Amino acid sequence: MTHYGMAIDMQRCVGCNACTIACKSTNNVPEGVFWTRVHTDGGDVPDVPRETAGGLYMNYITIGCQHCENPACVKVCPVGATYRDEATGIVRQDYDKCIGCRMCMAACPYTGVRSFNWEEPKYAMDFATGDIDVPKHEKHVVEKCTFCYQRIAKGEVPACMELCPARARHWGDLDDPESDVSKALAGREYAQLLPEMGTKPSVYYLV
Amino acid sequence: MTENVSTAGAVKAPSAPAKAGKGATVGIVVSAIVAAIGIALWMVQLSGGMVQTAMRNLDSWGLYITMFMFFVGLSAGGLIISSVPKAFGIKGFGGISKVAVMTSIAATVAAIGFVVVDLGQPLRVWELFAYSNLGSPLMWDIIVLMVYLILSCVYLWAQVGNEKGKVTHAALRVISVVALVCAVLVHSVTAWIFGLQQSHEMWHTALLAPWFVSSALVCGTGLVMCAAVALRAAGYLKWDQSDLVKLAKLLAVFLLVDLYFFGCDLLTEGFPAASGMAVVDMLVSGPLAPFFWGEIILSAVAVVLCVVPQLRTTPLMVVAGICAIAAIFCKRAQLLVGGFQIPNVDLPAVMTPFTVTNWEGNMAQAYAGMVYWPTPLELGIALGVVGLAFLVFFLGLKLLPLKPAEQE
Repeated sequence: MTHYGMAIDMQRCVGCNACTIACKSTNNVPEGVFWTRVHTDGGDVPDVPRETAGGLYMNYITIGCQHCENPACVKVCPVGATYRDEATGIVRQDYDKCIGCRMCMAACPYTGVRSFNWEEPKYAMDFATGDIDVPKHEKHVVEKCTFCYQRIAKGEVPACMELCPARARHWGDLDDPESDVSKALAGREYAQLLPEMGTKPSVYYLV
Repeated sequence: MTENVSTAGAVKAPSAPAKAGKGATVGIVVSAIVAAIGIALWMVQLSGGMVQTAMRNLDSWGLYITMFMFFVGLSAGGLIISSVPKAFGIKGFGGISKVAVMTSIAATVAAIGFVVVDLGQPLRVWELFAYSNLGSPLMWDIIVLMVYLILSCVYLWAQVGNEKGKVTHAALRVISVVALVCAVLVHSVTAWIFGLQQSHEMWHTALLAPWFVSSALVCGTGLVMCAAVALRAAGYLKWDQSDLVKLAKLLAVFLLVDLYFFGCDLLTEGFPAASGMAVVDMLVSGPLAPFFWGEIILSAVAVVLCVVPQLRTTPLMVVAGICAIAAIFCKRAQLLVGGFQIPNVDLPAVMTPFTVTNWEGNMAQAYAGMVYWPTPLELGIALGVVGLAFLVFFLGLKLLPLKPAEQE
């Protein structure tokens, strides 16, 4: 069974937001919505360090859906609009089924990775960008990172992988020891976000 | 006897007319208008988008779910006060049994209404029955609420039937036991919507379910006290002052249990002086302090009014009832907003108008005050749903034989 996952190298990430933009344009993500965001581990505002005894400190961590093996969101969805695709290990969201109760947003421990379309989706441009087979965005439903499901189905990699200038992202089948992601994890120390929540994320951070 | 029953004589006098008079009709008209305005505002929310509410991605529930919790709680008292005496075969609280159940029905209708107005896609509500995920606490709640509403109606019907001799005492007793179990379940399940989520430290406690039951008993008893006194004053029913005193004593016990649970929870959160301390700080001295201290003070006032015999006059008992209801509302608000007030990931990142209610500054500024405060549209819709509850209650008073039967 394939279990897709990602490893993000925190030593390499420069916080350039290229992944944020690649994700947004590939998936035609509406204005004001971001499926992946670069968080600054530093001061109070993005891209600003904080003072420590050893000098200034700043690092970046990009956070999107963690595609958990034990997802809190899937358990609570009353209609099964969010579900874990057993064939790929990807946590998916069915816009046509979502009733907009936002139970998944309350249940997800990873603050802000799920977003709700609070109004009719608007776009910066008057034509759709990115992949033609991206599901149409809908008002009043929850959406989130899909691991670019439409690209994976065609044997491609997620958009955020392709444009990362620092080559900080590794992708592949976690169950296959020869995959890029498995090799990246094998040689390095890594962490997961909020492991104490017991959600078993499929996204790893190389530290 | 230490009960203050001096005012009983004064209000016993008027014999109630056959049907609820003008008061109920005026109530029906006013509440129908409020409900209609609420529905119009709901249409505004649906067409213009929920961007008109203050809810955002990081505080994705607001006033509607607060009011949902609150009204589920209010629905408790009526049913429990009415069914406990029947279930255990003990003396009841006078002739308010049917009116009490009517308050339950009205509050349950409002609770369901608040879930519906919170949905982004209310037209897809049928999916709840077609694609039910029976593992979801929200699904449990939908099922239990439906059963609860139907059971409350059946229970009311059985009481009326019993008075007419059509339903036997044994049957009524069985129904009241089932209703009682369902009432406890409906509060537990509502608590589990929050309490089973490991992602919010404030919610994730095994105490939440019993605590929801005790809170429900507090505000439900408060509501029945106020409703019964109002109906007595309006001449709708006769009600002995000693029964009001009995309810007041019960309210005091429920309040003390609720405060005890609160104390247990705060101690457990705070004692390790670890991450749970953030919850205690937020409540005691942080953004939610007005709601925290509001709850404590209102509860204390209500307890004092209920336990000091000299203070058990009718007006002060109404004050105690209102204080109890307001205290539980404070509790609901602090629980809901408090859950979102402490984010698990609070590192700064790009913020948009959809990220968090106060998005214009940075994360620290967004969380400096209360992370959520409702917009006028939300308040209007909430008022409309409350209007709907009053409409149901007044219609019940007007059309159903809720007055105590002669033999009681």
